[in-house]
Amino acid sequence: MNIQDNYLKNKKNIFFSQNKDIQNHREKLLNVFENDRFDKKNNESLKNINLKNFIDFEYKYLIPDETSVINNNQENSYSIVSVNGHCSSFKDDKIEITKILDEDYNDFSKNDTIDNNDHFVNLNSLFLNSGFKIVIKKNNNIKIKISNIITDDNLTIFQKNNYICEEGSSLNLIEEYENKNNSTSNILNVIKLEKNSQLNHFLIQDNSPNHNLIITSHSSCKKNSIYTQKVYNFSEGYVRNFHYSELVEINSEADLQGIFFLKDDNTSNNKTFVKHLAENCKSNQVYKGILNDHSKATYFSNTHVDQVAQKTEGYQLSKGILLSDNASYFSKPELKIHADDVKCSHGSTIGPIDENAIFYLRSRGMSKIAATKILISSFINEELGSIDNEQMSEIIQKKLVRYLSKVK
Amino acid sequence: MFLEIKDLSVKIENKNILKSLNLNINKGEVHAIMGPNGSGKSTLANVLAGKEDYEILNGKINFKDNDLFDLNIEERAQEGMFLAFQYPVEIPGVNITPFLHSAINSKRKRMNEAEIDNLSFAKLLKSKASDLGINIDMLKRSVNTGFSGGEKKRYEILQMSILDPDLAILDETDSGLDIDALKIVTDGVNKLKTKNNSFLIITHYQKLLDYIKPDYVHVMVNGSIVKSGGSEIASEIEKDGFQKFQ
Repeated sequence: MNIQDNYLKNKKNIFFSQNKDIQNHREKLLNVFENDRFDKKNNESLKNINLKNFIDFEYKYLIPDETSVINNNQENSYSIVSVNGHCSSFKDDKIEITKILDEDYNDFSKNDTIDNNDHFVNLNSLFLNSGFKIVIKKNNNIKIKISNIITDDNLTIFQKNNYICEEGSSLNLIEEYENKNNSTSNILNVIKLEKNSQLNHFLIQDNSPNHNLIITSHSSCKKNSIYTQKVYNFSEGYVRNFHYSELVEINSEADLQGIFFLKDDNTSNNKTFVKHLAENCKSNQVYKGILNDHSKATYFSNTHVDQVAQKTEGYQLSKGILLSDNASYFSKPELKIHADDVKCSHGSTIGPIDENAIFYLRSRGMSKIAATKILISSFINEELGSIDNEQMSEIIQKKLVRYLSKVK
Repeated sequence: MFLEIKDLSVKIENKNILKSLNLNINKGEVHAIMGPNGSGKSTLANVLAGKEDYEILNGKINFKDNDLFDLNIEERAQEGMFLAFQYPVEIPGVNITPFLHSAINSKRKRMNEAEIDNLSFAKLLKSKASDLGINIDMLKRSVNTGFSGGEKKRYEILQMSILDPDLAILDETDSGLDIDALKIVTDGVNKLKTKNNSFLIITHYQKLLDYIKPDYVHVMVNGSIVKSGGSEIASEIEKDGFQKFQ
């Protein structure tokens, strides 16, 4: 079924179908799909994927029977279970959780940082069927853990979440995606950091081979705010991580990091994009990948420095280890600088594991497999060492051990 | 015979490096191989340690009654062979202490000996490091990462003293060392010498052999040993160079 028919057939189940502005926007998006020639060569959102699987899909969505649970189990600490993208409403003096509203949709559709030709984001807007909004109130320091659960096979989740950190607030957010069923989640997170706020965002992705996860985020940082994002992708199914940040006011920072562990014939597409729109801002984009068997990955990193963004510091780094001759990793760092007083750099190194290092370790009595595993661990040692959350660190270590156990 | 190399010919990337090389080393002996650049000294060291880049064209190597070619790299190390690298490899993110602990236990396992526990190993490491003038803080760092040339060589000798090999091959351990560091390193080697272990020392210069007295000196030119004798050969080389052997 083509997109147009699919949309019309399911329109009544899609969020905000009665809103005329949103409907107009969606009609424009339908035209994009209608007229696009799906240029795989030049459209980053189309690399390494079988487009047919994502465009020609059967829409299926189930509203969860049980309302999602929120536990305020410790002071300033919240545990949320999001079921099929739904989350129950909650309010206290520190946080507020609600369903997303029409106005939140508009927030996103007017954003010009995210590529208009990103078909996955466009699909998210067209078929939106779930999502929530979390507001961290002024000057509060909060921890939230969100478990994202999908209940059934063949569901198509199109979810949009808004996170707002009010002035002076701090949020430590852990999101877990560990789904074993055959479904597709297309999620868009829109994140706003007000003055002097901070969000440390961890995403742990560990889905089974038939679960597709397409996750896009857009964060905007006001004066003195800091957004850090760390993505750990252990999924055996397709994962797309596309993350955009805008540093809109002075002294703000964005740190986008990711590590992916691929095997078999799995694919992961990754992109980070930071727009420096004010003076004295810093950004860091670091992705590392370990690829075994026939796995494939892409990583596009992009720093855009506006002409007013003097004293910018922007760094990009991409590193990959190919454990098999059949694995491939395509990395493309880009810098667009329109200011003259900036410190920016980018680098990319991809290759097989260092044979000299293997020889050195083996010459001390370590087996080849043990030497390989120790070198893989050391490749991401800095990133793992920087996790200051003990629970997170343990979870990641366990998943790493599981991945390494399959390395031959 | 402890180590017996018979008629060994080796090539890499279509270039013959070792040509019908013969060398015998008995238990408790110190042998030195001297030779000009490109004569094949490091190739010999790497072939003995098991580096897989080389093609063995001909010959046999026996080590402690084993056919060396039947053993892979780690099995050779576990059997008691140790190569002190000319250029020790930097391995960021691999901490020295657990690495060495795992190395010594892999050897003990092969020898059917009990593994050494954390505490005993920490004591052993501390004492050996102190003997070699290695700062304890260095043991918290990653393998060879950010080390000076001298520190790397000292760290190789520390590994050697921990692993206590039957045959230690020192590949130009003197290169890049100042006179004080050379003394510390050679003192470390001399302390390890017993009647049950052997050393194969590869060097360009006589200086190292002033500190570690060899029983035999061999001159290697163009992939073969062209002359063998006592330490007088080293003095001869120091005086006249390698020209006369070529």
